[in-house]
Formats: sequence, structure tokens, C-alpha cells
Amino acid sequence: MNEPLLPHESPLGELPESISAQIVKFSHFVRAQGLKVGVQETSDALEVAQLGLIKNSNTFKNALSAVFCHCKEDRARFHRLFDEFWLSQDNNQRKGKMKVHVERITKSVNQRTSIMMMGRQKNQPQNDELQDSQTTSGASLANRLRRTDLSKMTEVEEELLEELAEKLWKQMHLRLSRRRKITHKPSLLHLRQTIRQNVSNGGEMIHLSFKKKKKRKPRLLVLLDVSGSMDKYSLFLLRFIYALKANFAQLEAFLFSTQIVAITDLVKQKITPKDLRTLSVRANAWASGTKIGHCFRDFNENYATRALSHNTLVLILSDGLDTGATEVLNVELKKIAQKARKLIWLNPLKGMQGYEPTAQGMQAALPYIDVFKSAHSLDSLLALEQYLQDV
Amino acid sequence: MKEVVINDIQEVIQGFEQNGYIIDEELATIVFLLLKMQKPLLIEGNTGVGKTELANQLATFLDTELIRLQCYEGLDVNTALYEWNYQKQLLAIKIQENSNKTESEKEKYIFGPEFLMERPLLRSIRAKDKPPVLLIDEIDRSDEEFEAFLLELLSAFQITVPELGTVKAQHIPYVILTSNRTRELGDALKRRCLYYWVDYPTLEKEIQIVHKRIPGIEQTLAKQVVGFVHEIRKLKLSKTPGVAETLDWVTGLQALGQQSLQEAGVQRSLGCLLKSTEDLDLVKNEGIQKLIPSDS
Repeated sequence: MNEPLLPHESPLGELPESISAQIVKFSHFVRAQGLKVGVQETSDALEVAQLGLIKNSNTFKNALSAVFCHCKEDRARFHRLFDEFWLSQDNNQRKGKMKVHVERITKSVNQRTSIMMMGRQKNQPQNDELQDSQTTSGASLANRLRRTDLSKMTEVEEELLEELAEKLWKQMHLRLSRRRKITHKPSLLHLRQTIRQNVSNGGEMIHLSFKKKKKRKPRLLVLLDVSGSMDKYSLFLLRFIYALKANFAQLEAFLFSTQIVAITDLVKQKITPKDLRTLSVRANAWASGTKIGHCFRDFNENYATRALSHNTLVLILSDGLDTGATEVLNVELKKIAQKARKLIWLNPLKGMQGYEPTAQGMQAALPYIDVFKSAHSLDSLLALEQYLQDV
Repeated sequence: MKEVVINDIQEVIQGFEQNGYIIDEELATIVFLLLKMQKPLLIEGNTGVGKTELANQLATFLDTELIRLQCYEGLDVNTALYEWNYQKQLLAIKIQENSNKTESEKEKYIFGPEFLMERPLLRSIRAKDKPPVLLIDEIDRSDEEFEAFLLELLSAFQITVPELGTVKAQHIPYVILTSNRTRELGDALKRRCLYYWVDYPTLEKEIQIVHKRIPGIEQTLAKQVVGFVHEIRKLKLSKTPGVAETLDWVTGLQALGQQSLQEAGVQRSLGCLLKSTEDLDLVKNEGIQKLIPSDS
């Protein structure tokens, strides 16, 4: 592992062109593999080589790791990619392998996307759509859309609903950010301003300026169930998570079914069809079974330290239909509830007439839930506003 | 003070070891890059693995000043950058009450350098003799707004004080940021930094650390304590003990006169290592005797 990467010692500042080209290629290679490596990182990598650290493979690997990695998870991937690129094979083999890699990723993305889309279309027979649209006749289109169950929408309605939702979510965000609470506490004196104002009074504090304590912004943690039973709702609820991002700068989001998947980085980007494709790739278990308790255990073990604090509002979007052991769910949800500021569970099934939370999963979860509401329509999601403002 | 010039990674390793800090080749490479590329270094890792200590050791190694900014939620620019000495300003206004100065002259005077209180960031930029080590500790605890401000500072290394003008760094400080990962930092900040993840040390390395930090400790006790700690790190504890806790525990055991680990001694001193009743119960249920490595 310690063999030199350069055949001859290269004097500082004079990097052979072939080596520079290799480093640039390596940057492209790791970027294609998902590491966030841009021009700055490539330039830093060249600087690392110029410092003479390329002479020893281990040192070069460590140095490039510091430049190319931005979190713990990047490191293991980087080390593997480094070995693959620099140590395992010659150039031609590498090129071939890279091509295969890219092709494989593209193929996999396309496959998953089509599976996902098929799933959605399959679940919406035309007759049902017609029937449900007619049941709410008489109301205005917007009002009807706001109340219609998300699982029973036509494609045209879905588009209209998304437009409407976008508008209403923006309004919700505006209201949340503008609303002020009445306070009887005296404000803090703004000394700098006060002194400036009273220089002409010989320092007598006649005009006082005050400053308000900065309000601590709550953090939001969203756990979205994407199992088969939630399939009809998942995509729209995912859009809802994106909308919430506008109001919560510190938002962490996860998808779960039989395993839990972090999607925070994707939610932070502007939503595009490509993101949804990536999401479906990442959530291997999209539209499969549900093991809520096991997923929450995984969350508690691996992500809770980072994503949960006494200032975190936890939002779980799930129907609570759990095929795993309910004791696990009970224990793990208790842990989440103990650390969180408030636990809100939105269940699409709760919008059905006569629904009772009799499912074992829901029974196990209920003792720890602060707010238990429905999430079957746009209106029910907008109603969440009152719980979000009160934090 | 003379600036220390480093030409080789081995110099970093030797320099740190002379000061009693064990540094492996990977970390030494990154410290070397920090010194040569003058890019901030972001260190992430669990609590108690020695992130802050690295900055202390770097300052000792470079024989320079360590300036520390401890971050917390609500940290604002006044606390991090500069503040005016209000009491002194009030006195100055009183003293000048009967002077012939105009109001704007009086104002200019009281907002002059004499009344400025430097906070860590400004202090690091105004360092005169040689670059200091600036430790921005637990950046993940600060707000995103502060992170954005820091990003601006770390790219230009200059600060504008409205009353005094722009202050540009004479010597670019060596910046170390630490994070416990209680929240994910912004991409922009991460990409401006070199990155290093500090893991719990290996058994051998941790024994070495214990010997370096607590000279004169019994070989058996050091081995057993570190072995025990490594065993309980495998359990699903809510707060996994770091190196700092190992050192605390060893000190505690020494104070209790323990030469080697015994179940009773462990029972009495486990509070040095574990910080919640759930974790204490978990370890006790696991069986303390079972977790103590044998003398050999």
C-alpha cells in the first residue's frame, strides 16, 4: 500500500502534466460516485500533490481524504474509491469500469422510477376517480381539492392540487413567520444605541433603546413512512416536507419502511424530478413492508444524537400499520418522545370516517404522541399550522 | 516570537510527541496541510475523543497563542467579534460634559479604539507577531446565521467595524473548527475546510495515551481500564465514554488506591465513566466482572 504513485521524485511546484490530468480525472471519478467535489476541491488536490505528498500512496490518500470528504460517511467511500482508482488497475481498465458504473447507475435509476410511477398509476382506477370527484360536487374546485382524499385523485387533479398547495403553503409560511406572541417581560436594554442617543444629555439615560431576545427557532424532524400501505400518500407528503423546509431552516428528514433512509441533503435542494428519482433509488424499500419499530431503533442508534434535541419538533407521517414487534416500537418511540419537544403523528387513515387507532402499531405509539391528526387531504395538512406555531 | 517552519510530516509527528500528544500519520498529514494550505480544519467526532485538545497541542507545537471561541445557541457577533466598553463610555461622557468638543467629536471619541473590547475573532485577526491558533469549538451548537457570518470571515480574514473601518489580518490564523455533529453543518462551510473525523482510538493507542497523560500509572491498571472501556463502547449506551472519561476514571481509581480493576472498585467509581442511570444499569446488567479483562 505504501508504493510511490510517482515514478520519480517531483520537485515542488513542478507537477508533471500526466499526474495533474490523473488528479483531475480522479476528481471527476469521485464526483460521478456521489462525493461533493467541485473545482475548489480539485484545485486543493493539485496543491496537495505540489506539496510533495503524492510520493507516498498512504499519505496522498490521507491528504486527499481531508480535501474531498465533508462528513464521516464520505470517508469510507472515499478510501474505497481511492484504492479502486489509483491502486487496483491501469488506466484503460479504469475507464472501462467507470463507464460500466455510470451505465449501471443510470439503468437502476430509470428502472426504479418507472416502477414507482407504475405503482402510482396502478393504484388509481379511473372509475373511482370519477366517483369521488362527483361526491364533492357543488363546492368550488379549490375547496373540493383541499378536502379530497389524496389517494383518490386523478392526474389532472393532482397537478391542480400541487399548484394550490404551493400557494397555500407559502401563505402558511408567511403567517408562521409574521405571527408574534404577546409578552409582558421587559426587553433588554440596547446599550450601544442608548449611549449613542444620550451623548447630548451628558450621559443621562433619557432616551432608552431596547433589544429583544432572539427567539430560538425550533428544529423539525420528519419521519415519512413510504411502505406499500402509504404508497398513495407518500409522494404528496414528500412535497409537504419540501414545503415545510421554507419555515424550518433546520430540518432533518428520513424515509422509512423496512429500513430508514436519510434524505436531509436532498430536501435541502430545490425539488426536481431528478431528486425524486434519486429518492426512489435511495429508499430501496419504497412501497414494501413496514417495520416501524426497527426503523426507529436504527434512527435512535445512528441519527438521534444529530437530529434530536429538546428543541426539536418531531413529525411522523405514517398509518401505523406495523408488521414488526410492537414492543420495539413502544420502546423506541418512547426514546424519541423523551428527547423531543413535541411529537406529532399524522395518519392519513384518520381522515376515514369511523377510523379508530386499533392497529397494534398505533396502540403502541399513542401514549407518547402529543398531537394525533389526519393527513389525508391538503386541508388536513394545512391544519398542522396551529401546532407548528405553538413551539 | 519566531515563527515555526514545518517542511515535513515527520516533524509534525515528532513535535507533537515531544509535547506528550500521540498523533498518527493521517492526522499529522492533515495538520501539515492545515499549516501549508492555510485552510481551516473541520474536525468532527464523538464527545471526548480529543478534538479540542488538538488545537491546544497545535498552539504549543507552534509556540503561539491559542484563541478559543466556544459556540452556543444564540451566540451573536457581539460576543464573537467585538463589544464596546459601555461603563467606560459612560464615564467618558461624564468627564467630557463641560468640554468644548462638539457632539460628533464626543461620539467619535467614545467609539474609538480605546473603548473597543476585542472578542476572540477580532483578536485572532489583529494578532501582531505571528499567526495564532483560532479554535472555534462546537460550531454545531451555533445558529445557521452565525455559521454564514463565519463563512464570510474565513474567506476574507477581514472584519469591518462600522466605527473604525476594516481590519485585515496581518497573519492568517490557523483555524480549527470542532463539531459533535448535533446538527449537520452547511455545505458551503464544509467545503471551505479540510475535514477530519476523529474516531475512538484503538486499544493500543488509548493505552499509550493513558501512559503519556498519567505518568506512573500501573501497566496492569492502564490495560484493564482501557480494555473495560473498549468493551462497554460496544454496548448501546446513550453516552459512549470518550478518551477524556477514560482518563478521568483512571485518575479516580488512582485516588481510590486501586492497583488493578476489581468489581467493587469499578462499582464505586463507574460514575467517572458513565453519565446516566440507564447506562449504569445497562453495564451492571451486562455483568461488571465479565467486562473486566484478565491481568494477562
